[in-house]
Amino acid sequence: MKHTASWILWLVLSLTLTLTTRNPFYLSFQILSLLLLGVYIAKQKHHAFWLSQNIRFLLTMLVISSLVNALFTHTGSTTLINLPDHWILVGGSITLESLIYGQINGLIIGAIFVAFNIINLALSIRQLTHLIPGALRPIAMTVTITLTFLPSIQQRAQEIKEAQLIRGNQMKKIRDWLPLLLPLLISSLENAISLSESMTSRGFETQSTGKITRLTLVSLILATFIIFSAWVLSLFDYPGFIILPLYAIGGGLVAVTFISASRKLRTTHFKKETWSKKDALSSGIFITTIIGTIILHQLGMLPTFYYSPYPGLSLPGLSLSGFLVISVLLFPMLVGKNDSI
Amino acid sequence: MNNINLEITPASLTLVTGSSGSGKSTLLKCINGLVPHFSGGSISGEIEVFNHDPIEEGPKGLVKTVSYVFQEPESQFVYDIVEDEIAFSLENFGISRDEMVKRIDLVLNKMGLSDIKGKKISHLSGGEKQKVAIASALVNQPRVLILDEPTSQLDPFTADALLNYIIFLKSKMDLTVLISEHRLERLLPYSDVIIHLTPQGEIISGPTQSVLHEMEQVPPIIKIARMLNVDPYPLTPKEFPNSHEMAYNEKSKATFDLIPSLQTPVLECRNVSTSINGKPILKRINFRLAKGEILVVHGPNGSGKTTLSRTLVGLQSSEGQIFLHGQDTKLLGTEDMVKEIGYLPQNPGDLLFAETVLDEIKITMNNHQLKYHEADLIEFLAQFGLNEKLTEYPRDLSVGERQRTALAAITVHRPNIIILDEPTRGMDYQNKSSLSKILTLWRDEGRSICLITHDVEFGAMLADRVLLLEEGEISFDGLPNIAYTKFPRYRTQTSLIFPNQNWITPGDISQIS
Ligand SMILES: Nc1ncnc2c1ncn2[C@@H]1O[C@H](COP(=O)(O)OP(=O)(O)OP(=O)(O)O)[C@@H](O)[C@H]1O
Ligand SMILES: [Mg+2]
Repeated sequence: MKHTASWILWLVLSLTLTLTTRNPFYLSFQILSLLLLGVYIAKQKHHAFWLSQNIRFLLTMLVISSLVNALFTHTGSTTLINLPDHWILVGGSITLESLIYGQINGLIIGAIFVAFNIINLALSIRQLTHLIPGALRPIAMTVTITLTFLPSIQQRAQEIKEAQLIRGNQMKKIRDWLPLLLPLLISSLENAISLSESMTSRGFETQSTGKITRLTLVSLILATFIIFSAWVLSLFDYPGFIILPLYAIGGGLVAVTFISASRKLRTTHFKKETWSKKDALSSGIFITTIIGTIILHQLGMLPTFYYSPYPGLSLPGLSLSGFLVISVLLFPMLVGKNDSI
Repeated sequence: MNNINLEITPASLTLVTGSSGSGKSTLLKCINGLVPHFSGGSISGEIEVFNHDPIEEGPKGLVKTVSYVFQEPESQFVYDIVEDEIAFSLENFGISRDEMVKRIDLVLNKMGLSDIKGKKISHLSGGEKQKVAIASALVNQPRVLILDEPTSQLDPFTADALLNYIIFLKSKMDLTVLISEHRLERLLPYSDVIIHLTPQGEIISGPTQSVLHEMEQVPPIIKIARMLNVDPYPLTPKEFPNSHEMAYNEKSKATFDLIPSLQTPVLECRNVSTSINGKPILKRINFRLAKGEILVVHGPNGSGKTTLSRTLVGLQSSEGQIFLHGQDTKLLGTEDMVKEIGYLPQNPGDLLFAETVLDEIKITMNNHQLKYHEADLIEFLAQFGLNEKLTEYPRDLSVGERQRTALAAITVHRPNIIILDEPTRGMDYQNKSSLSKILTLWRDEGRSICLITHDVEFGAMLADRVLLLEEGEISFDGLPNIAYTKFPRYRTQTSLIFPNQNWITPGDISQIS
């Protein structure tokens, strides 16, 4: 599987699953699957430390989000400790339920993070930038710089750490790490300036028409309005068969507008992405799963997906089909070698 | 810069030279409008480039006419993969895919990049990055090509191949080329015009021969020509009349055929191998650095020189054993090694972060928990010609000054071993000769220096011993007068002019008319 589109569908599926369930077991299973897939791709790309970096982030996220939730939300029946009431915000009972609730949130954020990291691993920056509609070239410029930076920032931090070691900094106490921050900021800024200089002198802005036509503007506003009203309706518990089509129409309108606006630009692509059978197959499976999950979820037919630790703790229900749906995320491993570099 | 008048004929090659900090990059950036559109500042007068006005149109208006390769390749990359990077401007210009594929294949071939076209740019060696930057400019097929120190990190062979290709484009495609360089020796035979910026902000321009006569700092071949009163100057060793009788000056190189004692190496590798991401880079290296010697390391781009130096200071994990003063270093971290080894990396940009030059070296002293008197530090900086820059912000200094500040920052605690990776990047002849004075002084104090460089003329001036590294293996380890005379790739101009002698630098010659 190597087509950008199939990977984007994969990402949508992963996000859909993450956002439809609050069952901690499903979420943990999803994260495990993601890590497995990540390690598989990282190995092909000779990316050392991928697993440890992600696990470090996951653990931090879990700790922070459960602490924050436990400290600020005081509902739940199993009290662990009581903080004095006059303490602002955090005063009151710290409950097991709110700790668990925070942990579930941590799992959700973690799953989203890992999924994006996998996309970063599977697709090159060029593939990612070409996803941005050509009509938004000025934005694309910013995004490109950001995209180039995000992966490089870790490497940059590593280089600066090495520079500190070379200068004899022991890097043992917390204070020793402070000199890392400023150089990181300064060198990133300097780099951004030379990068934009380089991009300009290599023709980045020449093809940007810079003007967005009135039709584009009108349809974008319309689309935003439709999506917004769908969201408002959903807040008032309108049924899924009204809301879902509205989302679809709004989203479709945005897509059509961007595609037609991009057509007018004269950029070309060096690499043409071709659809292989594997791409078609996996995309089909992803789309089916995405739509299936959303519909079933809206119809309330995925009972084990719902879970809330409040008011009192209970064991979440599980079903084999839930695990099966989540394991679709591992499909890229089935179709074999990822050779998209 | 003030009141500059220049005219450049199409399909010519212009060499822009001048001491570091004299404004070469500024001048070049005027041609495609980056000055003043990106730099700010004020500009008056007129510039015309193939019926375009860079001041009016800015870089946008000139992208298809002028291609620019920046001095520091590291910071100009947009994408992460070599091939994508080269395609970037073509995609912007809306070139058809067939044409794009054709052009990219050609330039990959010409630049010897075909094998690494799918590699991540962040995984390339310094020279490989430089080649990618140049390829991304050539692929545009511009009418004007501007190269700001394009060969500073290229090995001699690659640099020659690049120049030959550019000369080919100049004559076949009427390409107009402007190159700024400090190392003139290689470029002189190809250049039609020299623009020389003096430190006083004046400009001398004209045909190569006439400008050379007015320049103070010149490459070895011109030095020799001046010594022997050959006029007009020969620009290649082949043009040199070989009718002069010369004698070897015994005093000029006292250590000429003494192999430094290798009995007690201060730094030693036994069977050291490294691989990065599963690819073997160094293959069972045995390396020794003796007390009180300058060891010069040469080798093609990507041969593993930087990897070797990183391995020596513990930044790169490896198999095999490394001994520092006879002690196995297995348990030492980089922060411990640098107490004994001063290490200047190939890209020292990250090394400097303090507010002032003086603070910079104080930090090193503090890191090593050493006491100091400020007066001593100032005296130390004076050695590097930095005593007037004490309170300046290091990152605003010129490339050559920055390089010297970094060097001061890694050696102020007086380590006994010093490893330098391409220290002459961005340095003019003057800077280089002051650096060589410092290094010689340190050597004479009994310290050991390992100098990694592509600059064979600079290496020949200093080397007590030479090591050639090829594809991760040591292919030669021996005396400089063999290294610089017997290996075609590494021959110095002096050795080419006098093929039957053992001379490698102008200093080895003295004239008996
Ligand atoms: N992080 C990395 N991942 C993969 N390959 C790498 C990495 N770093 C270096 N290499 C490869 O290792 C080889 C040796 O690199 P090294 O930087 O040591 O070369 P070098 O001799 O210093 O070259 P130069 O003269 O261009 O500076 C190169 O082929 C390079 O592409
Ligand atoms: Mg190197």
